[in-house]
Amino acid sequence: MNIIINETEGGMTAVFSGRLDTPAAVKAQMDIAPLLENADREITLDCTELEYISSSGLRLFLTIRKETAAKGGKVIIKNINDEIKKVFMMTGFFNLFDIQ
Amino acid sequence: MNNYGLDLHGEMLLEEYRTQRPLFEKLKHVAMQQLGDMLRSSGIEVNSMEARIKDERSLAGKLLRKGYKYATLADITDVFGARIIAFYNEDVDRIASMAETLFDIDWDNSVDKRKMHQFDSFGYNSLHYICRLRPSSAAHCSDGNLKDTIPAALYDIRFELQMRTALQHVWSAIQHDIGYKTEMEIPMEYHRNLSRLAGMLELADNEFSRIRNAISEYRYRMQSLVQSGRLEEVPLDGDTFQSYLNLRPFDKLNRQIAAVNKAELHDAPLMPYLPVLRKLGLKTLADVERMMSADYDDAYQLALFQLGSTDIDILAESVGLQNLCIVHVLKMGGGRQGLVQLFDTVNGKKPQNEVLASMVFEQARRLSFKVKDD
Repeated sequence: MNIIINETEGGMTAVFSGRLDTPAAVKAQMDIAPLLENADREITLDCTELEYISSSGLRLFLTIRKETAAKGGKVIIKNINDEIKKVFMMTGFFNLFDIQ
Repeated sequence: MNNYGLDLHGEMLLEEYRTQRPLFEKLKHVAMQQLGDMLRSSGIEVNSMEARIKDERSLAGKLLRKGYKYATLADITDVFGARIIAFYNEDVDRIASMAETLFDIDWDNSVDKRKMHQFDSFGYNSLHYICRLRPSSAAHCSDGNLKDTIPAALYDIRFELQMRTALQHVWSAIQHDIGYKTEMEIPMEYHRNLSRLAGMLELADNEFSRIRNAISEYRYRMQSLVQSGRLEEVPLDGDTFQSYLNLRPFDKLNRQIAAVNKAELHDAPLMPYLPVLRKLGLKTLADVERMMSADYDDAYQLALFQLGSTDIDILAESVGLQNLCIVHVLKMGGGRQGLVQLFDTVNGKKPQNEVLASMVFEQARRLSFKVKDD
């Protein structure tokens, strides 16, 4: 699991790759600190290379969403694969995010 | 130094104004802080709050016209003036009532212009209070540092607080812009037109109040019906659905679904499902209850099918209602396209909804309830 965070015009982009399972999500909690610090901006989670998401991964995304909601920012999730779409849908979280 | 053509008395008053100007600045700061605190604690939404200290030229003009009326600057009660522009007449009254507890009111010089018109005349409507700061109120100001820095002299200065509705303000501002002060200054024809507009705005103010009160009464009545379970009488709309959601009607289904994987339930808004329910033809909250009763088991079976083979242990509180809607669409013969429309409504129109609809449609075909092929 790897997260590369870049500052972009108007916000931040985090590129996720690999499997966001429970151990990876624990480590990712620290990696996403720059996103939480910039939660007043538009944060794009690029999931083109993300293969799998666990409940812990969902919690990680919800943490980012909660922080942006509190600080006036926005989260956009881009390019999730069909399996991850299915996870977002059957958990009821799909409409909580702007999934593009 | 400007020469305004004042007599000696006027010049003395103007000099007094120049000396006391910092005191008025302080008064403005304290009074506005207190009024802001008052409005915040009351929860009254206002159109705006304004404050100004009369500028020197304006004061000189006043002294030139009627300086003889004032022995000292303290006799001029509008050197500092504040204005609160509310939306409704009732709010003006509430604000006035709160101002009475906040400030000492000089009743002899305060005036309710709303009550000064003859029964057949219409014009300027506003409530003007002449106030003084009250030491006991200033002590409770939200700016804790303020109370220690208020000079005693500030409590002696009178100021004007105007309270009016937004429509009253519009009339007053336009009248001011036109430059009309008394009916003597413009021909009767134009005076009549302004009066006619004042009457119309008074009527509009009353109508806005009436509408607001009617909506409040409707909400109260609907809440009572929801709480007493008389759902057949409650139309499905934004207010009633929110009252219904406050009773947490989908908790039982959510908990049953969450129990599949011992999942935690995460807050999620359910209001996005209101347009779905309406598109499904549900007219009353009783219709929603009937849908839940008819589709409860199948909604649970769908969730069991989706989640049973996973270790997902976090779910949104919308999961129960989402599955109820999915099942209802499919049992009504909506098919894959019906699911696309459902997801378009809840998620916003996006290509992924086609994918989601196909996934769910294929899952549902393996369940026991009858899914009509499309």
